[in-house]
Amino acid sequence: MDFDFSDDQEQLRDAVRKYVDKGYTFERRRAAEKAGGFDRAAYAELAELGLTGLYVPEDNGGMGLGPIDGMVVMEELGRGMVLEPLPHALIAGAVLAGYADAATRAAWLPGIASGEKLVVLAYQERGSRYALDAIAGKAHQAPGGYVLNATKSIVAAGDKADAYLVSAKVNSVMGLFVVERESAGVSTRGYNTQGGGRAAEIVFKNAPAQLITTQGQAALEHAVDIGIAATCAEAVGVMDKTLDITADYLNTRKQFGVAISSFQALRHRVADMKMQLELARSMSYYASLKLNAPATERRAALARAKYQLGNSMRFIGQQAVQLHGGIGVTDEYIVSHYFRKLTELEMTFGDTLHHLGEVSARMQDTAGVFA
Amino acid sequence: MDLAFTPEEQTFREEVRAWVHAHLPADIAHKVHNALELTREDHQRWAQILGAKGWLGFGWPKEFGGPGWTAIQKHLFEEECALAGAPRVIPFGPVMVAPVIMAFGTPEQQQRFLPGIASGKVWWSQGYSEPGSGSDLASVKTRAERQGNTYIVNGQKTWTTLGQYGEWIFCLVRTSTEGKPQTGISFLLIDMKSPGVTVRPIIMLDGGHEVNEVFFDNVEVPAENLIGEENKGWTYAKHLLSHERTNIADVNRAKRELERLKRIAKREGVWDPATGGAAASRFRDEIAKLEVDVIALEMLVLRVLSAEKSGKNSLDIAGLLKIRGSEIQQRYSELMMLAAGPFALPLIREAMEAGWQGDAAAGALGGFPGGEVGNAPLASTYFNLRKTTIYGGSNEVQRNIVSQVVLG
Repeated sequence: MDFDFSDDQEQLRDAVRKYVDKGYTFERRRAAEKAGGFDRAAYAELAELGLTGLYVPEDNGGMGLGPIDGMVVMEELGRGMVLEPLPHALIAGAVLAGYADAATRAAWLPGIASGEKLVVLAYQERGSRYALDAIAGKAHQAPGGYVLNATKSIVAAGDKADAYLVSAKVNSVMGLFVVERESAGVSTRGYNTQGGGRAAEIVFKNAPAQLITTQGQAALEHAVDIGIAATCAEAVGVMDKTLDITADYLNTRKQFGVAISSFQALRHRVADMKMQLELARSMSYYASLKLNAPATERRAALARAKYQLGNSMRFIGQQAVQLHGGIGVTDEYIVSHYFRKLTELEMTFGDTLHHLGEVSARMQDTAGVFA
Repeated sequence: MDLAFTPEEQTFREEVRAWVHAHLPADIAHKVHNALELTREDHQRWAQILGAKGWLGFGWPKEFGGPGWTAIQKHLFEEECALAGAPRVIPFGPVMVAPVIMAFGTPEQQQRFLPGIASGKVWWSQGYSEPGSGSDLASVKTRAERQGNTYIVNGQKTWTTLGQYGEWIFCLVRTSTEGKPQTGISFLLIDMKSPGVTVRPIIMLDGGHEVNEVFFDNVEVPAENLIGEENKGWTYAKHLLSHERTNIADVNRAKRELERLKRIAKREGVWDPATGGAAASRFRDEIAKLEVDVIALEMLVLRVLSAEKSGKNSLDIAGLLKIRGSEIQQRYSELMMLAAGPFALPLIREAMEAGWQGDAAAGALGGFPGGEVGNAPLASTYFNLRKTTIYGGSNEVQRNIVSQVVLG
């Protein structure tokens, strides 16, 4: 039992933090948001740091690192509300490495690691809400591969990505496929999201698809769990920074002749925010530490983590705005951007009520904790 | 980073578990698992079993006859005891006053007091709180005046937990009124059989006699019972308060009680939505929330233990542990009561004692209403645990401390 980071992990954290502080300023982020919520140059910079290849095996050109390294990186990206969807690079790296055949791995992983290929998970449909298997998307075999028909929603950077990991059923079996954006039959409509980033609706109409695995349900669950762990860590970074900003503001802003941090009603709110932050950090550790556990244990653990993180995110975001007063509800000041980001993250990879349902359904009659 | 305990720690846990299962009397475990009333004799019996093994002072270093365990070993020991249904070690002797005697007492005081604490033979009480002091401990008014080799003590302590059993009491007393309130306090050990000591019960909202008022009326205390220097008692008291950082969260007991909550929910038909319908569905979700709360608290505790172990990073979150741990205690007791619903309401005191069957011959009119005696203590426990967010520095005071860490 040990919650220390290795020296390598500390160095990784320092490198990413330096990049975010200097290279990914709020002004740059704001400009990227105005320009559509995705900046390919910034994504290339993440790649230069090696982050897009974090989960890509070394012999496929990546760093071959693990969940704790991913957690460290995502915390730091969260502090700067980085818009480019690194969690999807982590998902694509791990899922292709874990489920695809050697030829497919060789075709995609080096490009993912180098940042030349942005591959994102396209799994959500209007009718499925958070259920991974309740989808209308279908694929069938055709000469030279598969043909896929589906409509996927809220796909991260969907009109900028190079390819998608797409869930679709072959007869009644869940499959996971790679489809390239520029293939015939793929059309996209991109838009900004409330958190500042970019997403798209994507229609696949008889699009040529490459099968990764017919263990699609297992692969998809794994993909989403990687996404949950990354989102939890990212949220910890966002919340950590949100609390910092709020504490600074309370110590600076004067009312009735004194700093408003002297008011106990506000101090107790800050204590409650700190509580939610540390509970969230604890459960983010838990999520990443359980990411390589057997599937049943992993799924239960990740649901618990996302439930805690969702609650913490909503509380900290709302309180940060309230404690700032009027300036907290302006676009000009940074805290509203953190609040919007937290709101988005709560609904990414399953919201809080969804995960409460998962925890509840999976609950055992033992305590369900470590001993 | 690793969630698993080391093989050595795992072996240690298994050894403790085997020993506890072999030595914890079944009748005591039954009472703990069902929240039935524990007598003085129950507490003493378990304390002396631990004492004979050398584990009552489980936090003690080897030089004072303790096992010299690491923070993690202590945690594992407490966890195994809690899960097996052992009563909590009454902390006043082995956990609270003993470390102060070790750190600040004379060799004579150590030889005189520590053996009785280690064996569980002498029952200690805590004399910190006073009427009106609340969470402001430094407002001590109980006076100790030095006359030759004797202190004459006058005043009153309150909220003295299980003081009705106490043989000795460690007290903060005022020996000077000069300077700040903290500077004139001394740490005095007082024999509760001394003339002038009176213990009066405070009956709590659950009807239980757990706490007391202790009056001191011209009580003569030998000066050799002073710990350390006169007027330095506040320093020693702070040492005591800082000594146990993680056990205030009581996460081990929370794990045991979470399982009990699930048993009660099952028994009362609010566990399985397939049979209990929407009511079970709603109730089960509340248990699920609590389960996540308990896991998050455990992770928080483990983070503190890990930081202590490695010394790499310190975590200034003791206040968070107190707040969260106490809220969770209140929540599980609340849910247990709500699971039973109206059947938690009959107040039949005898039914909270082990073995009560009522009048079996009278059938439905003879036993506990509804036929489930396990419901008897649920509301009382709920009432009783309201204390947890008040004592040990109220949760509002803890929030002040936490906000200090964030805001300065």
